[in-house]
Amino acid sequence: MFQNLTVFETAYAMAVHAGQKQAVVAQNVANADTPGYVGRDLPSFQEIYAPKEHGATVQRATRPGHVLGAVQQGADGMMTEDRSFAAPDGNTGSIETEMLRATDAKRQHDRSLAIYKSALNIVRSSLGRQ
Amino acid sequence: MSEFSKALSVSTSGLQAQSSRLRHLSENISNADTPGYRRKTVPFQTAFAAGSGISNVEVGRVSLDDRPLERVFDPSHPMADGSGHYDGSNVDLLIELADAREAQRSYEANLKMFEQARQMSSGLMQLLRR
Repeated sequence: MFQNLTVFETAYAMAVHAGQKQAVVAQNVANADTPGYVGRDLPSFQEIYAPKEHGATVQRATRPGHVLGAVQQGADGMMTEDRSFAAPDGNTGSIETEMLRATDAKRQHDRSLAIYKSALNIVRSSLGRQ
Repeated sequence: MSEFSKALSVSTSGLQAQSSRLRHLSENISNADTPGYRRKTVPFQTAFAAGSGISNVEVGRVSLDDRPLERVFDPSHPMADGSGHYDGSNVDLLIELADAREAQRSYEANLKMFEQARQMSSGLMQLLRR
């Protein structure tokens, strides 16, 4: 029963996704002054996280190194280009939007860690330890 | 390389690029009155890292601005020609100051991204505590 808890898998996948998102946002911020740079974006966790056939959920793996799920496409294939805002030099990044995305990533990460911790507490108390 | 170390490395590359830009800007400003000085421009470009999916930013070849030098009228200047003019620098202090302000803003944004990636990874480490 405790061998493969779905809540841990989901929280783990969510934390991984938040980390990837943070890296993409950091890349956009670092390239905020590079002429011709097109900003990248990751699909949201809800879109990536796909249910498995037999009821349990699994994260779509984005590269061969990922343990869960089957590889569907490369990490670069998952990244989308964001052309919502373009400066005269062809740069599409905007620091303000990136700050918003970074806060989203941080909140998602905090949330997944809180879920993980709370589930861990439940398992611990079911073992009789405080 | 984990997502957090990628985020930290891309933020670091952004910090380095912005600080080298600021260094050249201060060089331009301090040489604003040097006769014959041409202002230096710092191009940013994306460094392609194979495989990692996250591309750092780097400073390209520093080039000189081609704008014509300012003709300053000062007959008593030792470098003055027959008409009493000599070649000043082509530094426009207003442009340099605006550029410096933008560099500072981008530097702070990169610093914020670095700090946030650090916070996220230390939050992950907190899970190990009871």
